[in-house]
Amino acid sequence: MARERKRPQADPPELSMTPMIDVVFQLLIYFIVTLHPVDVVTNLDVFQPAPDPNAQPNDKPPQLLRVGVLFDGYTFNDAPMRLEGIDKTLAKLAEKDAGLTLMIAVSAHSEHGQLVKLLDICAKNNIRSLSVVSSPN
Amino acid sequence: MKNKAPEMQLDMTPMIDVVFQLIIFFITTIDMENKALETKVRMAMSPHGPVEEKKDPRTVTVDVERDGTVKIQQTKLSDGQLLTILTKARATSGGSTPVVIRGDAKAKHDDIHRVMAICGKAGLWKIRFAALKEKA
Repeated sequence: MARERKRPQADPPELSMTPMIDVVFQLLIYFIVTLHPVDVVTNLDVFQPAPDPNAQPNDKPPQLLRVGVLFDGYTFNDAPMRLEGIDKTLAKLAEKDAGLTLMIAVSAHSEHGQLVKLLDICAKNNIRSLSVVSSPN
Repeated sequence: MKNKAPEMQLDMTPMIDVVFQLIIFFITTIDMENKALETKVRMAMSPHGPVEEKKDPRTVTVDVERDGTVKIQQTKLSDGQLLTILTKARATSGGSTPVVIRGDAKAKHDDIHRVMAICGKAGLWKIRFAALKEKA
């Protein structure tokens, strides 16, 4: 009678997760450290696009407002005014007249940030008809 | 006689798979355009400015640093060189090619005006000022 031989059972091969987790953590740390969040950028229009040729001519001349950007502040229709005041005035005027035209005279000595702040207020009050002119003073 | 336990074998395949997946992901999502815009320019804030959803591929971005240095893609340019570039842009893409001026908030308007005048000289009228809507 043949003797039955018991075959040794092989252990199921185990997948070592440790090196994989190591690599993943290394990559994770690398990308967290080198992550550079991107700022949200906006573009403020300076010049009005070409007029619509199909638009009906308007008899009423557009209301032209002058805002000055000086190195030490702002002027509204030649009178000195703070930016908050200009914001409130423009908000009131824009409510009444949607086709408001704004002429911005910028002093060569003023900072660019001042003009951007004013253009931001125009964007806030939905004033799109803008014209920026530079003055040497 | 004792049976020897089978040697443990590390299966490298899934690890390499993961690594390659990550490499491909980061290579394809890397924002080269924003890398090119990394300059010393600290733009002014404009929280109410409109967000451009579709950027015109013809857009020329001009950086104006605090000291008045004019750069395109981190390359310092003289007024003459800028005029040559913008004139070429007009010749190839037309007068409606948008020019975005990324001016430093502390830059003098005189320097910004200089760039605007060069744009006008080159025949480009669609000028925009870049500003920060949201700081990261």
